[in-house]
Amino acid sequence: MSWVQRLVNALRPSRLLRDIDREIAFHIDERADDLRSQGLSDEEARRTARSRFGNPLVQRDRTRDVDSAAAIDATWRNIRYALRAMRRTPGFTAAVVLTLALGIGANSAVFSAIDAVLLRPLPFPDGERLVELTQVRDGSGETRIAPIRLQDWNRLNVTFDGMAGYLLGDVVDTSGDLPERVHNATVTPGFFDVLGVHPALGRSFSDEEHQVAYKGPIAVIASDRRWRNAGRDLQALERPVRVGNVTLATIGVMSPSFQFPRDVDVWTADDADAPWAQQRTLTWFTGIGRLKSGVTIEQARADLERVQADLCRQYPDTDRGITVSIVPLKETIVGATRTSLWVLYGAVSVLLLIACTNIAALLLSRAARREHEIAVRYSLGASRTAVAMQLLTEAGVLSLVGALIGVAVAISASRGLRLLAPDLPRVGEIAVDARILVYTLLSTLFVTLLCGVAPAIQSTRRARHASGSTRTTTPARHSLQWLLVGVQIALSVTLLAGAGLLVRSIDAMSRVSLGFDPRHVLTLRVSGQYGNETTDAHIQRINRVLDSLESLPGVEGVAVASLLPGVREYEQQEFSLLEGRAGTAPPLIAENRIVSPGYFAAMRIPLLTGELCHRPEHSGWPKAATADVMVNRTFANRYFPGTSVLGLHLTGGLDRLVTNRHLAGAVPSRIVGVVGDAREAGVDRDPSPTVYTCFSFPYPAPWHVIRTAGDPTAAVTAVRRRIRELEPARSVYDIAPLEQRMGDAYAQNRLRTWLLSLFAITALALVCAGVYGTLSYAVSLRRREVALRLALGALRHRVVQQLIGTSLRIVAVAAACGLGLSLLFTRSLSTMLYGVTPSDPATLGAVGALVVTVAGVAAVIPATRAAFVPPMRALREE
Amino acid sequence: MSTSKNDILQGTLTLLVLKTLASNRRLHGYAITTHVQRVSGDLLRVEEGSLYPALHRMEQQGWLKAEWGLTEKNREARFYSLTAKGRKQLAAEEESWARFTEGVGRVLRYV
Repeated sequence: MSWVQRLVNALRPSRLLRDIDREIAFHIDERADDLRSQGLSDEEARRTARSRFGNPLVQRDRTRDVDSAAAIDATWRNIRYALRAMRRTPGFTAAVVLTLALGIGANSAVFSAIDAVLLRPLPFPDGERLVELTQVRDGSGETRIAPIRLQDWNRLNVTFDGMAGYLLGDVVDTSGDLPERVHNATVTPGFFDVLGVHPALGRSFSDEEHQVAYKGPIAVIASDRRWRNAGRDLQALERPVRVGNVTLATIGVMSPSFQFPRDVDVWTADDADAPWAQQRTLTWFTGIGRLKSGVTIEQARADLERVQADLCRQYPDTDRGITVSIVPLKETIVGATRTSLWVLYGAVSVLLLIACTNIAALLLSRAARREHEIAVRYSLGASRTAVAMQLLTEAGVLSLVGALIGVAVAISASRGLRLLAPDLPRVGEIAVDARILVYTLLSTLFVTLLCGVAPAIQSTRRARHASGSTRTTTPARHSLQWLLVGVQIALSVTLLAGAGLLVRSIDAMSRVSLGFDPRHVLTLRVSGQYGNETTDAHIQRINRVLDSLESLPGVEGVAVASLLPGVREYEQQEFSLLEGRAGTAPPLIAENRIVSPGYFAAMRIPLLTGELCHRPEHSGWPKAATADVMVNRTFANRYFPGTSVLGLHLTGGLDRLVTNRHLAGAVPSRIVGVVGDAREAGVDRDPSPTVYTCFSFPYPAPWHVIRTAGDPTAAVTAVRRRIRELEPARSVYDIAPLEQRMGDAYAQNRLRTWLLSLFAITALALVCAGVYGTLSYAVSLRRREVALRLALGALRHRVVQQLIGTSLRIVAVAAACGLGLSLLFTRSLSTMLYGVTPSDPATLGAVGALVVTVAGVAAVIPATRAAFVPPMRALREE
Repeated sequence: MSTSKNDILQGTLTLLVLKTLASNRRLHGYAITTHVQRVSGDLLRVEEGSLYPALHRMEQQGWLKAEWGLTEKNREARFYSLTAKGRKQLAAEEESWARFTEGVGRVLRYV
């Protein structure tokens, strides 16, 4: 008989038993027949036949064990027994299953995010070989690469299969009813080859399309989303479409899974041989590269350092001080979320651990109540392994049922995570798939062992000694339970400390003085792109819009800015002083914000000394170019302590307009005033030295900030209508109040805090249940003792005090251990904290006090109940 | 349990069953018992209860094949027959039995 047959027999034992019974009955019948023919009476024959056979039940079981996989059979019996036990105690079962379902489900959901975002390679062939390349120039925040330099690197290196660059920008599609903003990535030849991806439909760019001399329609590769939204059919591929004064032809469509760079709608070919692409000082590309198989990042870095050193000798004027930065592409995409996700995972795992410990304690007290049953099983000859296996099976069935519901929890929780954190990189790849199910299964196994082993060992050992007597009460029997409660307390203190610190940080951030006023400010962008327009034309266009909006009723101030204030955007660079500085003076590293002169009034940033900058009244940019600049107080105090900065000249402010092909070289700018410090680079960043270059054209589609008299959203329609009157072919997009945008910038912070607090509160609730349950059990064991003491005249309140005191001592010790544990754990939070240190004594103290109080309250009820049982009743019970 | 001398030695039951089935095409359990008893001239008696676990174990080993059938008295019984593997096993067990008795004999003959 094969093992399959044995398995079937194990799973369908009744049929097998029937067959064996028939076989045995036949044997006994035949024997009886023979005996009858030898002259025995009917009844005598049958009795003799049966006694000669021996006990048919024992023989049946022995035969059955041969025919079925005995271990499976026993397991199957244990499972059915466990299910029966679960039905007998529905309340207990529901509590345990639900706790486990939530614990396992939440854990799997967070793991699904970790797996998709951090663990899996990028969805490109050999994605681990892709790196991001940026150029680093001493002291400047410069990261982009001059096209010609990228070409040099690509040509001279020996460690890369290929390199390419891209530049993000916005273009406007005016083919529809309303102008529509389109995210565009201008890419160098070989961009798709480096990524190892090709259009799902059509083709990628030809060499001709990368040449400035190419006169055909502009070739465009569309994202799948855009292709679908446009509702265009395959026939339209390559058929040129006229948009405004340009002709476009969609030559290819990418697959839905291809999203690089993120949220791009169309990819277009750069003009690799254009004259402006040959200038080593004009930088605009972000580089990507594919390492040769087997090449490490370190080797590639050494290789490119050598290449750049050669270039430096060849072009000392432009390439001196430039180094190359190589970072795995995946790191640049997901790196920022790494700590957040692992902290979340750590928290959710600690919660699961608490839940397991809690359930282990519950099972332990339940097993203790079943002491009698276990003793009976021993006396009937069950082995210790068999009894322990039965208890373990009960834990296993509970956690398996919990895990099944947990999978459903995980699916909805991971969907919830996608909705709550839409800005998470690779969020679209998060899914509960086979890998996650395997993970869930493994964690279920882990949970079973964690919950089940202690009760199985402990109660089978005890039952061996107790063997039938229910009177023995040793204090040691619930010390394990108190240990489990202690573990829960320590872990939940850790969770609470983490959550508490994050809450304190958010609170501290909301109290910070910003230095600017984000209320009643509407932000939006008006589309524009580099093209055949002169810089002058851009400036005039933007100024016209600003002036016109300023005259709208309800608008109190308007400006454009290169970066929005308060949303964690910043660009640092080094400025130089035209007047010269001492060689020993620190370099003038400062944030560079390009704003139109109305910015300070619109953002309510106060002028401290000097005067506000004015709009330059020249035309013919950049020939007669100078610009006024403002600096903040930190800049003035740090770099020019004790002297006036007014009238000094800085260069470098406008050099950052690197993507502007018409603007190059150093433009000297005069410092005309000093303004107050504002936390523009983020609420959680202290103000740093800042230079405001007053210039209306940081790039073609700058941010507009509009201060309104009332609710900024109420002004949207009027603003849009006014811009449409002036610029019918431009789209107005990214419209939102500044406060909302600042909130969004910290949405992940808040989500993280919110989730951690949720976990911590759940943990606290579990601890409550744990203390309550364990003390109830411990007290129930001591009922006789308590009753006896009361009968002998002990004071009731002293008894209550003593019972509560016992639990509080344990709670206090565990909470202290938890605080020690917190000091280790909260250190990993340090990058997420603001205004509190990871070991903030106030937070930790409050958490410790909270846990002890809550646990104390949980202890009151069982302690009081025990002391108020009439002594005679308790004494008569046994 | 009686410890009478005609109880079958532990381990020889397999050999006897295999041999019995080698000389008869197919037999049910009761017939195997009576066959052993008759052929041994009542010297050997199969302990009836332990026959069935042994039969089922041999079936698991693949030495026997079993199927339900009717006896001449029209009763349903489970009939066992030898497989090719069982024949090989019989040869092996016969040989080891021969060696065993030879060995025991020599020890007994030694003065």
